[in-house]
Amino acid sequence: MALLLGLGAAALITAAWFYARTAADEAYDRLLLGAAFQMSENLTVQDGVIKFDLPASAFELLGLADSDRIFYRVVTPDGKTLTGYNDLDTGVDLTAHQSQPVIGNSTYRGVDLRHVTVSRVLTQKSGVVWAHVIVAQTLESRRALAAELTTRATILVAIMCLLALAGSAIAVRYSLHPVDRLGRVLARREPQDLTPLDLDVPRELTPFVDSINRFITRLSERMTLMQRYIADSAHQIRTPLTALNAQVSLIDDEKLAPADRRHMERVRRRASELSRFTNQLLNHAMVIHRFDSVQLAPVKLNDVARKAFRAAVPMTVDPDLVVSFEASPEELMVTGDELSLREAIVNIIDNALRHGAKGRLDVKVGRDGDNGFVEVSDDGPGIPPEEWGNVVKRFYSSRSEDQVSGLGFAIAAEVALALNGRIGFREKTEERPFAIHIALPLIEGGQA
Amino acid sequence: MRIFLVEDTHDVGEAICRRFQQAGHTVDWETDGQAASDILSFTEYDLVVLDVMLPGRDGFSILKKMRQSGSGVPVLILTARSEIDDRVGALDLGADDYLVKPFDFRELEARARVLLRRRAGGEATNLITCGDVVLDLSNRSVTVGRREVQLKRREMALLEILASRPGKVFSKEELLDRLFGFDEEVGENAVELYVGRLRKKLEGATARIVTQRGIGYQLVADGA
Repeated sequence: MALLLGLGAAALITAAWFYARTAADEAYDRLLLGAAFQMSENLTVQDGVIKFDLPASAFELLGLADSDRIFYRVVTPDGKTLTGYNDLDTGVDLTAHQSQPVIGNSTYRGVDLRHVTVSRVLTQKSGVVWAHVIVAQTLESRRALAAELTTRATILVAIMCLLALAGSAIAVRYSLHPVDRLGRVLARREPQDLTPLDLDVPRELTPFVDSINRFITRLSERMTLMQRYIADSAHQIRTPLTALNAQVSLIDDEKLAPADRRHMERVRRRASELSRFTNQLLNHAMVIHRFDSVQLAPVKLNDVARKAFRAAVPMTVDPDLVVSFEASPEELMVTGDELSLREAIVNIIDNALRHGAKGRLDVKVGRDGDNGFVEVSDDGPGIPPEEWGNVVKRFYSSRSEDQVSGLGFAIAAEVALALNGRIGFREKTEERPFAIHIALPLIEGGQA
Repeated sequence: MRIFLVEDTHDVGEAICRRFQQAGHTVDWETDGQAASDILSFTEYDLVVLDVMLPGRDGFSILKKMRQSGSGVPVLILTARSEIDDRVGALDLGADDYLVKPFDFRELEARARVLLRRRAGGEATNLITCGDVVLDLSNRSVTVGRREVQLKRREMALLEILASRPGKVFSKEELLDRLFGFDEEVGENAVELYVGRLRKKLEGATARIVTQRGIGYQLVADGA
């Protein structure tokens, strides 16, 4: 943009300089010509002798260019200098008649000159002859005029350039403003928000927004289909799976051969793994789906955590396991969706029950600055810090094929993220057991 | 106890029936929702295990009708529906508990036992306190300081006995009788087992179970 303006300005200034010079030349040439004609008028023939009377008016005329020096030479028809500088040579053929004044440039005594040669026809006895008047002038004034004109033009061009730059900058900014706004709207969007953009944009941007919206709609349809597919298939799996568990539970281990009993035990374990996984898959689909549609509301953290605790710890839990729940003494309110949050906490507790706790599992609700947290600690080996980033990924398994961690932590992490919270881990030390917590920002004031 | 099972999946119904029967209950099993609803309107049961998706009439509607007619029979809902919302819906409609399919059959039995006991018990609604141990008999919960500790039924019973008279020494035989009755055949060390577990769960409390060698056990509050 600036380059283009610069080139344009250079071209304009060059043209201005050129025109200024031409204009200055024309103006001063007229003076020169006028002076030359006046002088040539004063050439007279008296008694066959050519006389020349230098007219003062001619010098007055030339005096308008006050900083310039003037040279002149009057040449008789026989080539002799009647008066003036006899070495003033303009390169014009003085032996021939010039019907038109000849104007040109030359150098005289090391100075650049503009000269004009005018022929004057004189009548002598011998017939018609012609004398010449040469008037020359140094170039200062015309150069000064040309420079002044060029300078003024340059200033004008510069001002115009600046105006153009500023104007186009404003224009660009103004015309890009809707794009900017569109970008901000897109960036501000919740990741789950797949509703079309509803935004006033200039007509030029409408096709752009339309294609974004078409894309969003397609994506949203696909997501919906996918979620429905997952939900439907998980649902379809539930019934036969329940039946499988039911039938397996009827088999009397006592009547089996030792080897068969072992196989039976594996079938049971796999069946319950499959049950758990199906539940996770379905809950995961549900949780994702919920954030699309559910309006978040204030939730009592103690209540949700207690419900999750009751749901997650089965009645058939190992009787040697000490399981406890500690509510926060103050009522902590967070913004959330109760069901999803409960699922998140259930999954953390469930995981601790399955893979962590050996003799003790404690769930605690508390406050840490502006955050409320639910902490699940157990006396198991815990998860090493280098695995923390991985276990929150879907289907990540740190151990052998036997233990698929599945979706538990992924659900918890996704819920935490959707509620502007996070999942955190605390390393096992001598004094403190390993702990996982889900922390959520408290509603202003933190208390109900 | 009489249990009414409404479940249309044969394999599942069969297993539930068999397991409850093995536990000594009488089970009536119905597969059609409408028929089940009719039966419930004139037959009294101790527990109803209700599937949600049923031919004829769905489980929620049966439950609603039961509660509208004033029946207070405990209802355990089995649901395979895809939304967790169902669970909340079930409780709102007056279900006492729910299980999402697929479930663990031992869990079903455990929960059914709780509901049947609640039905038979008619429990007192009072609190027993010893040190910072609080035993809430109405909702069967125990807190140690601010921690709610989950106790098993027998542990709860043991604590209830000991806490009913803090400081009194209960002999092993007395505890054995009161915990298990005369019918069950359990070894003497069963008491030790439960005392051990209970001790572990009361860790950090300001009340302790003290063993009086050769005599028995007592619950003592610190500083008392």
